[in-house]
Amino acid sequence: MINNFADLSRQSLNPAGIAVGDTVTPMDIKLTHTIITATALASMDFMPVHHDKDYALAQFAPDIFLNILSSNGFVSKFLTDWAGPNAWVKKINIKLGVPAVPHQVLKFTGEVLSKNTVDNECHIEVSVQAANDSGNHAIGTALITLPL
Amino acid sequence: MPNVIDIELFKADQQALDDFLQSWIGHKMNMGGTQIAPDPVNMPMIRHWIDAFADRNPVYEDAGFAEKTRFRGRIAPPAMMQAWIMPRPILEGIGERGGSGQPLNPDMPLGVLDRVGFTGILATNSELEFDRPLREGDLLHTDIFLESVSPRKKTGLGQGYFVTWITEFMDQDNQAVGRQSFRVLKFDPSTIGQ
Repeated sequence: MINNFADLSRQSLNPAGIAVGDTVTPMDIKLTHTIITATALASMDFMPVHHDKDYALAQFAPDIFLNILSSNGFVSKFLTDWAGPNAWVKKINIKLGVPAVPHQVLKFTGEVLSKNTVDNECHIEVSVQAANDSGNHAIGTALITLPL
Repeated sequence: MPNVIDIELFKADQQALDDFLQSWIGHKMNMGGTQIAPDPVNMPMIRHWIDAFADRNPVYEDAGFAEKTRFRGRIAPPAMMQAWIMPRPILEGIGERGGSGQPLNPDMPLGVLDRVGFTGILATNSELEFDRPLREGDLLHTDIFLESVSPRKKTGLGQGYFVTWITEFMDQDNQAVGRQSFRVLKFDPSTIGQ
């Protein structure tokens, strides 16, 4: 299907094969003005600091920067790119740090902190870190579930 | 009931401001957004989102693929939960309103802090919880509750308060679908270094 953007080759992780300490497949997002603007508007966030560079500079920001909804959106993508289409993202808890600005790569990394069986599901807690050249943009934990 | 607002008193008397802020704990507050989603969960907005994020997870788009997963059909990206209840923006004057898409209520805690001089805002923490996948047709509404206000603190940006609120997301049957705890620092830029 020409207009289908979905990656139909995706496989889901088998919970039995996941262990504490496993690395979440790293994800690099080379942020651009276009991506920051497009994600802000897709999340219905029209604050000028997320699309208007003149306004952002007047607010003493280094440039336009990623909105928080989009930080969470990229965390969700990071998790399901790794765990696969059967993964349900249940929690994302992040502490916010330096702004994520254009021309820098936002690097997502994480590892499995715990794995538990709850109600016929596998609950996997992972650490999440999104960092750029200036430091941590977001750092925290997330919980995903996979069916057993 | 929350305490009476007296901006001049709050400027002069920190205890009166602190008491006012604490009197709001647990109360429903409107952060400037409408509480009902402008549109139900829908595929055009999902497509806009997955293209912006280049999120190629097939459960968001491909009905045939999604049918064979645990979800038994297409779902919306979980992090879109907030996007569904974002109010329609009033673009005219958005910059003058500090970027808020809707006029801020000057009598709510954040509005009062603005008027007392704590005009700066910096988001510090977000905790999201998703109870169930959202699907096309779900129509969300939200209630927002003030959870906590810290004592006045000295920070690198000036003196300020950490304000935490919880947004409860509910569906058309009034069932909870998720929640977000959000913390911001409301600071007075003129007190930097004090």
